[in-house]
Amino acid sequence: MSGSLILQSVVLGVLLGGLYALLAAGLTLYFGVMRVVMIAHSAFLILAAYLAWYFTSQTGLDPLFSLIITVPLFFIAGVLMQRLLISRLRPATLTMMSVLLTFSIALIIEGMLGFVFTGTQRRIRLPYSGTSFEIFGANVAVVKLIAFVLAAASLLALYLIMKRTRFGQALRATIQHPEAARLVGVNTDRVAGYGFGLGLATAAVGGTALALDSTIYPSLHWHWIGPLMAIIVVGGLGSIPGAAIAAMVLGIGQALLQLPLGTTWAQTVFYVALFATLMLRPQGFIGGRLAQRF
Amino acid sequence: MTQTQHESSAPVSTGRSLETNGLRKSYGGVTALDGASVSFQDGKVNALIGPNGSGKTTFFNCVTGMIRADEGTTTFRGTDITTASPHRIARQGIGRSFQLCRIFPRMTVMENMLAAVRPTSVWRMIGSARDAGDQERARELLARVGIDHLEHAEARDLSYGQQKLLELAGVLMADPDTIMLDEPAGGVNPALIDRIANLIRSLNAEGKTFIVVEHNMELVMSLSDHVVVFDRGRPICEGPPSLVQNDPRVLEAYLGI
Amino acid sequence: MTASRTVNRGVKIAGLLALLALALAFPSLAPDPFILSVGVVIMSYAVLATSWNFVGGFTGYISLGHAAYSGLGGYATALLILDAGLNPWVAMFLGAAVVAVLAVPIGIASLRVRGASFVIVSIALVLIMLLVFQSWGSFTGGSNGLRVPRPFGPDVLRPEQHERFFYLHVALLAVALFVWWAIDRSRFGIGLKAIREDEDKAEALGVPTFSYKLVVFVVSAFFTALGGGLYALWFGFLDPIFQFSILVGSYMVLMSLLGGIRSLFGPLLGAVIVGYALEFFKAQYGDTQFHLVALGLLLALVVLFMPDGIIPAVGQLFARFRPQAASIREQTQAELAAQRRGEAAEAEPDDAMAVSGEEARR
Repeated sequence: MSGSLILQSVVLGVLLGGLYALLAAGLTLYFGVMRVVMIAHSAFLILAAYLAWYFTSQTGLDPLFSLIITVPLFFIAGVLMQRLLISRLRPATLTMMSVLLTFSIALIIEGMLGFVFTGTQRRIRLPYSGTSFEIFGANVAVVKLIAFVLAAASLLALYLIMKRTRFGQALRATIQHPEAARLVGVNTDRVAGYGFGLGLATAAVGGTALALDSTIYPSLHWHWIGPLMAIIVVGGLGSIPGAAIAAMVLGIGQALLQLPLGTTWAQTVFYVALFATLMLRPQGFIGGRLAQRF
Repeated sequence: MTQTQHESSAPVSTGRSLETNGLRKSYGGVTALDGASVSFQDGKVNALIGPNGSGKTTFFNCVTGMIRADEGTTTFRGTDITTASPHRIARQGIGRSFQLCRIFPRMTVMENMLAAVRPTSVWRMIGSARDAGDQERARELLARVGIDHLEHAEARDLSYGQQKLLELAGVLMADPDTIMLDEPAGGVNPALIDRIANLIRSLNAEGKTFIVVEHNMELVMSLSDHVVVFDRGRPICEGPPSLVQNDPRVLEAYLGI
Repeated sequence: MTASRTVNRGVKIAGLLALLALALAFPSLAPDPFILSVGVVIMSYAVLATSWNFVGGFTGYISLGHAAYSGLGGYATALLILDAGLNPWVAMFLGAAVVAVLAVPIGIASLRVRGASFVIVSIALVLIMLLVFQSWGSFTGGSNGLRVPRPFGPDVLRPEQHERFFYLHVALLAVALFVWWAIDRSRFGIGLKAIREDEDKAEALGVPTFSYKLVVFVVSAFFTALGGGLYALWFGFLDPIFQFSILVGSYMVLMSLLGGIRSLFGPLLGAVIVGYALEFFKAQYGDTQFHLVALGLLLALVVLFMPDGIIPAVGQLFARFRPQAASIREQTQAELAAQRRGEAAEAEPDDAMAVSGEEARR
């Protein structure tokens, strides 16, 4: 194994980790505001990727422009989903029943994608698809870099929303202590709805980033939900910084393990980390005081 | 393990029942317990009072193992139970109720009672739960709290007051010798408060130790032998009710600065 | 009261015998081998759903990944026959035992903290298994699949095979139902149901919740693996895509939930309904993506509008026609509402006596 090969892997891992981090942040948001494990997150991710692909194939414009439509659309879909579906479930069985509900949404999305776009594998062809350049001797495709920048910018925006705005404050209060948040006058129902919308918006961004350099097909979401769920457990359920760090570490780990093991076995790094976390530190390695109770 | 039930049914020592030493617990930046060292008397009715947010419920949860304290130790009859799991602590002889009454809503009243029975062997574990002896004991306890006529009803169909009585009966079914009650009079009508108070008195006369968190001062003063006042996560004064009632620190804690 | 209870028991036993007679007569009633094979598939679903319900029904923990155990059971059976040369039936039981042993560490990892991580692990497990069994071609046959030797000789023809396997599945189902019933009435079962209702409360009462959950989880994995093994012996071929499919796991959930997870026969009823619908769909429209949509919609509807399932819903419907039983619930709910209203005023007569003894005695 040469040094440049390792460097190449690390760079690829960081680029991939950025996307994981953004998507895991979305999953964490749902769990934080509603204690919901949102299985349909990655199905929405693939849906957004399909929308980006369809947008480009119809208009000929760059897929990045599809964000103008998909981000608000997904935000609204998220709010509606929380208000109309999730909030109907009985609080006592919320965690379990919400899993089933979001799972069924994932199935519906997958089925509809297959129905509308058929199971054929799709890929966006861009003028700059083949272009790549060198950083520190590592070869990086331009599309991967764009995807990473998109993810990083969205993550930064999410961070700023959480830290700097009143809404973000209310959101964090709701995540940390819903009862206390209600006492100080936060409308936790509305905040939870917006939190859901924000989470789904990350799937819209992630989907577009994914569509840039991946081949997509309807059942692809199962390949994403496993690693993403592993990430949020390792990072500590409910902690966004924890999820982001875990995403980076595991993304790099996956990229490095691809060298000796190949792509398929490298994926197991997520599951190994998941089991190790639950065995050694079930509340997560980084953040996550919520996990103790859920 | 088989021993504990025998031990718990016959309280012998008259010294300290439950003792904590420097319990500390914080959530993020908020300190809920700030080095709480308390000891409760065996065979007495102990009351734990204090303003809202003074850490009483957190204290209960730490002592019963529901949450783990960051620092400090808890001993019960000389045994260290700081890191024991809740069911082990329960099996040592500590029973507890919850602030907002918790029962098993989709089980019948009788099943709620039988859930507190501890099978002592694998054989008993796979044996039928509807053991005649257990059911008889359950009926006695239900009769004692006055809801034996509801044996076959589903617990969620009971009124709040009835649920509270069921919760108490369930705790008694496990035969603890120290019973921790979190606001037994919270949200129930005056007639029922009297009934609960009488139950506590008669159980105490039979040797059960009580540790009661309560906001109803009238009840606390008439019921308890020993009062501990909590403020900001630690005890600020303790003693017999009459003494505590007139302590300036207590007034200050309650009325604020 | 005792008279009505004896009548009740009589009705139950008669119903049970009728059910058994129907199951045993099915192969001779089935018009052709295809219908018979559909019967085998439905019975296999019933075994899997009932096995799933050891965890789902008693503890309320919803596993979406039980396909991992049925798949492992199938592969363990096949590999023990092929590589170790064991008798098929011995291989099936030994395979299930191996899966049960594997379930111990999996259970320890996923049951230590509450719900959310259990679900996450259950899904992850199927995905891992799919990954491993597809990639590890030298051992598992990989994506090409694995041919399972038939336990009955070549002289046993197809319809005869179906019939034998139908009875075998019925027998396995009967054992699983019996064990479920035995747990349901035991002290262990009461403890498990307490966990389902309120885990903290159960723990505070002295129920060792973790050990209870782990034991019933392993029992569930064992029966699921037996179901997987028996199916593999019948079907004769294993492909990781179908064995470790998240869909198989979700069928088990949907069937149990639809029938009613708190009822002994809930999963069986659900398996008959959903299994029949699935096979009907497949026969009519072939394998389209639309069955995913239908499955998703059905699951969502059940979760939103009928989370208790058919059996309790029908039970309540019957209870409404029985005047006595109905009066308890209505009275207590009206009373509950009155009590809630009264709480603000803080002046109410002693509500503990509000439901009189006569009314409460069913």
